[in-house]
Amino acid sequence: MEVADVFRLLTGALSLLGAVLCVWVARVNFGRIPEDRKVSLGVATVSGVAFFKLLALAALFAVPATTLAVANYHTIEGVHGVDACNRCHVMTPMVTDMRDPESQSLAARHFKNGWIPKDQCFQCHSDYGLAGDLHAKMEGYRHLARYTSATYTEPIKFRGVFRNDNCLKCHEGTPKFTAVPSHSTVRGRLADSSLSCLNCHGRAHPTRDQRTPGHPDYPRLVGEKP
Amino acid sequence: MNSMRLPALAAGVAFVITALYALDPGPYQMAAFVFFAQPLFAIAAAGYAYRVWKDLRSRKVL
Repeated sequence: MEVADVFRLLTGALSLLGAVLCVWVARVNFGRIPEDRKVSLGVATVSGVAFFKLLALAALFAVPATTLAVANYHTIEGVHGVDACNRCHVMTPMVTDMRDPESQSLAARHFKNGWIPKDQCFQCHSDYGLAGDLHAKMEGYRHLARYTSATYTEPIKFRGVFRNDNCLKCHEGTPKFTAVPSHSTVRGRLADSSLSCLNCHGRAHPTRDQRTPGHPDYPRLVGEKP
Repeated sequence: MNSMRLPALAAGVAFVITALYALDPGPYQMAAFVFFAQPLFAIAAAGYAYRVWKDLRSRKVL
């Protein structure tokens, strides 16, 4: 069981606890609690009014705050896995291609050779995903809103520039990288991403045409049986 | 501070959405959590704070 799963279970348990507490609080009329009513909490005995006020504090503030913290951690951690990306069908062509042993795309070669052991999408798009800065988080929310409101068209387009840092963070300085003379020649352009690694190393994912409904490769890429 | 029904209802709905999201974290559940459950939690907390403030005012504590 991974950490994200633990947080997911914790989120579920806290949500159930919170829902039960909310039902309890909603049924209480605070003006009609007998003043002489006492509630034993084991270590202390409090008045009925004080008990239900504490209950309201727990149900409407403490448990929601804890649930939000845990659920948001789950949201940020949970999006690292490939399956999390694959839940949005517009990403399925990329994932199908990456997992295809016959594919020669850059993502597929990294995947089948085990060059990135886990969270393959996130490792190459980490400046772009939810774990990035505030701008990246806002982009993530924008993607979520666009996807769930169906206000997008296929094929989806990558906004902005893919930073070479995502490649260089693993490759730069390795013997294989430094053994290629042209890497030194264009070092400056690679560093500022004015020259893409993909210019020499091929496309990372299926082409935009292949990801367009109607293209002969589209059914295979989205996992439809012929 | 007679009733906490509305804040409790808002928080209750938010908890149900969050539980569904924890159970099956798909994009629609995530959107429901991000765009509906979180604001509902904020509304519940604000409603609770308002009732506490009113209660303290009525007792002349504030």
